[in-house]
Amino acid sequence: MSTDIDAVHPLDTSGARLSIKKPVQRFDRQGDLSDRERTEAAMRAFMHEFGAVTATYLESCIHCGMCAEACQYYVQTGDPRYTPVHKLEPFKQAYKREAGPFALFYRMFNLKPRVSADELQNWQELLYDSCTMCGRCTLICPMGIDIARLVGQARHGMFQAGLVPHELWAVAERAEREGSPLGATPAVFKDRIAWLSDEHGVEIPVDRDQADVLVSMSSIEIMKYPQAIVATAKVLNALNEKWTIRLDGYEATNFGMLSGNVQWQKDLSMKLINAAVKCGAKLLILPECGHAYGAMRWDGANVYGKPLPFEVLHISEYLARSIAGGRLRVKKAAASVTFHDPCQISRRGGATQAPRDVLAALGVELREMVPSRMGSWCCGGGGGVVTIHRADDLRYRVFEIKMKQVDDTGAEMLVMSCSNCRQTFDDGQAHFKWDKTAHSLLELVADNLVQ
Amino acid sequence: MNLLDFARGAAMKWSLAVFVFGIFWRLTGILLLHRTHDYSVPRAHGALLGALRTIIARSWPRREFRARTAYGLAVSYAFHIGLAIVVFGFVPHILLIRSLTGLGWNGLPDGVIYFCAVVTLIALIMALIRRVTHPVLKLLSNFDDYFSWVVTAAPVVTGLLTVAHYGARYETLLALHILSFEVLLVWFPFGKLMHGLLLPVARGQTGAFYARRGVNP
Amino acid sequence: MSKDDSIEVSLRKQGISRRAFMKFCAATASLLALPPAMAAVIAETLGRARRPSVIYLSYQECTGCGESLTRSFSPTLENLMFNVMSLDYYETLQAAAGTAAEAARHTAMKENWGKYLLVVDGAIPRGHDGAYCTIAGESAVDILTGAAKGAAAVISVGTCAAFGGIPHASPDPTGAVPVSQVIKDKPVINISGCPPVPEVITGVLAHYLTFGSIPELDHLGRPKVFYGDTIHDRCYRRPYYDAGKFAKTFDDEGARNGWCLFELGCKGPITYNACATVKWNQGTSYPIQSGHGCLGCSEPDFWDKGSFYQALSTGTWSGGTVLGAAVVAGAAIGVGAAVVSRRRQARADRKKQP
Repeated sequence: MSTDIDAVHPLDTSGARLSIKKPVQRFDRQGDLSDRERTEAAMRAFMHEFGAVTATYLESCIHCGMCAEACQYYVQTGDPRYTPVHKLEPFKQAYKREAGPFALFYRMFNLKPRVSADELQNWQELLYDSCTMCGRCTLICPMGIDIARLVGQARHGMFQAGLVPHELWAVAERAEREGSPLGATPAVFKDRIAWLSDEHGVEIPVDRDQADVLVSMSSIEIMKYPQAIVATAKVLNALNEKWTIRLDGYEATNFGMLSGNVQWQKDLSMKLINAAVKCGAKLLILPECGHAYGAMRWDGANVYGKPLPFEVLHISEYLARSIAGGRLRVKKAAASVTFHDPCQISRRGGATQAPRDVLAALGVELREMVPSRMGSWCCGGGGGVVTIHRADDLRYRVFEIKMKQVDDTGAEMLVMSCSNCRQTFDDGQAHFKWDKTAHSLLELVADNLVQ
Repeated sequence: MNLLDFARGAAMKWSLAVFVFGIFWRLTGILLLHRTHDYSVPRAHGALLGALRTIIARSWPRREFRARTAYGLAVSYAFHIGLAIVVFGFVPHILLIRSLTGLGWNGLPDGVIYFCAVVTLIALIMALIRRVTHPVLKLLSNFDDYFSWVVTAAPVVTGLLTVAHYGARYETLLALHILSFEVLLVWFPFGKLMHGLLLPVARGQTGAFYARRGVNP
Repeated sequence: MSKDDSIEVSLRKQGISRRAFMKFCAATASLLALPPAMAAVIAETLGRARRPSVIYLSYQECTGCGESLTRSFSPTLENLMFNVMSLDYYETLQAAAGTAAEAARHTAMKENWGKYLLVVDGAIPRGHDGAYCTIAGESAVDILTGAAKGAAAVISVGTCAAFGGIPHASPDPTGAVPVSQVIKDKPVINISGCPPVPEVITGVLAHYLTFGSIPELDHLGRPKVFYGDTIHDRCYRRPYYDAGKFAKTFDDEGARNGWCLFELGCKGPITYNACATVKWNQGTSYPIQSGHGCLGCSEPDFWDKGSFYQALSTGTWSGGTVLGAAVVAGAAIGVGAAVVSRRRQARADRKKQP
């Protein structure tokens, strides 16, 4: 039962208690709303989510607990609070009370009490720190409940209540205000492009009026892995594409979506969509970023309110298609490679085969992790979790699964197609002084182009 | 009118009425909530096929999940299959189904049924023990879980007592057996037992979602 | 034949040998599930017993019970039994009529006050002050109440007397009740069945005559020795039930092979009687052996338990209208719930975007 105080505040008998300076803060608050205002705001946002599909999922749980076995946080800690469907408890409670078929009775006899601000605060850690929305739980659920989707919906209410982990809220707010969560403003981006273009001697077209292909970037790449911009340019130039980067719409990450702000998600997506429409692009290429794929490939048209007038491809799909069409030729690369499936692109996005086709063209021996593809373990940094510093310890614990998976393959090179995964790997590598370095699939291709 | 007449007459009529009433209430209440159109371009067509596929395929966990779920799964399968055999294989039950629906089939020998019922009961008890001891299940479980267990186990227990003529006169046991099943019928639409009907809907939705995105679960 | 003759003497006068009498006693002992040695005790006791006076009253009945008892070939155990009793009043068999008949009853009651056995078949109509059944201007209720006062014991023969039977069945226009609801201050033995097995009647009488007490009864007032097991438990077709072999129609392969009649509505599993062991017509057969399911005639309200041809595990109600109404009502409330929820959602959406 959720009222079990031992389960809510597990006794810590192993920690060095004399060294604790102050209790761990379990939640952050934005704004100065009263508790009542917070719960009401959360409830209004929740209400919006209770459509037929969500309702069916929320009605279907049989409390079998199987989702826990798919969740990296439960598997690594054994803490039952990390059971995926348990993370939805307030959301579910709100549904039963407000929108379910028996809602009237739940309200009339108060069979399901109102969700309290305390509950929402306590669930902040469960909905953000310990969930990357990787969707493994969706894959295991015997009722087929899409728990990952429900967590995303529950976050909408948390944002309205001002109950988002502060770093995540801050990067989302910055993205909304500046156009990039990491300070990659148009001016910064423009400087970087100029510098990269000079440094590497590649032509990077910016702000073309007309282009067939619009290229978007992730701020993580712009600020941390600028090589990706060069690699993209090399590939597109080699293919003689009529392409461009536009400073009025280049940011592919969507922290509005990750933090749970529907309006910000829309604002960020619309910039990209409008830029593509303006230059008449037939194709929008999304960078190596997992959630960007979900935000644009699958949610983009719904934010737009009608079908997008252009095609949306992840860069790995674009590479696979170009190679398959014989337009892009690559030479043999490293001997053995293992590939990390970014959850949002593979398990949640369906682009599972494309990177493998690219790797096959590169002539590498692909040593699959066990499990891989659909069943792959998450890096632990998705869903905005990598931004939440208080969740670092937990993130390192789940990263241990990934390290073991990679080590077990014995592959020489670790490749992935998501810069957010990549920075999580880099951070984990530094933390554990691990000997494996994460590489970008795109950069691997760009380094092995046949001119 | 004795207890058996009540169980076979008025109680059966009204429990069935509540059963269908509740099912329609709950299903329409869920399915008529708003739906949004998905404008994204599907990677592949065949959402219906994907739905059907997941409805069937999700009955069995993917390879990577098997080791961690084997025990719970075995127990669940044991009582689900056991219940199915007992409910649909025992001739008196088939006759009831035939009298309600007009559909009938050949039954199984009683020995098989008794064996299955005992196995089912053992599996149900194991499931309950797991629920009260496993930290995850303990945390998730609520009144619905325990009450649904009781109304599921009760017809098995009373059924076994009835065929064994143990504890009371046969007609009393039979009446209690029928009444216990009627309690299950009444509870069915309002608790977790409804998963029997929600399962194809929930799985189908996710199957269609995967098919649309080209995910091959 | 004098009333004062002992039973054995009166039998010998009718040309029935001691050997035949002993055979009857042995059969009765076995019927009552007594040890074989008890046959001698029965013979000894019965042999010396003075023939008891029996007053047999009939009310709402079909005479089937009387037929069952008497319509048989001589010399049967039933006949023997009848001959050992002094049947002082029985409308069906007595030669006397009108005032003479009633006088015979009054005489017998007076002469044997406190000692005679009162046998009743048929239910007693209590509606409209008993107007539905009167004899010589007296209502059935009054005659029964009066006759029971001087009786040593009351035996309800047949399901009508024991449980109300068919007269009591829905809609029961006459307010028919069993004997036990009229006579509350005397032991009432119910020998139910429509009709009861004759040997069961004689067995109970023999028990009473031998031991001077009434046999152990079940919760419905029936002698446990005859009504302790269900027909189903003692049925020779039971192995087919256990093996799941059932006749589906009355003329299919299964029926010809003598398989279980459960599917054809046999009420054997809830019917307590001796048919399957004692059988009928001197152990010749019983309904199931003749190919028809048990109707459950020895149980209360057997007429109102749905069709005789509906299996026991099915419901007895009819009419899908209730279910149809439930579907409509459920869907209507569900639609209503969805509409209310959608409205509340729209209101929440409006508040969210000020």
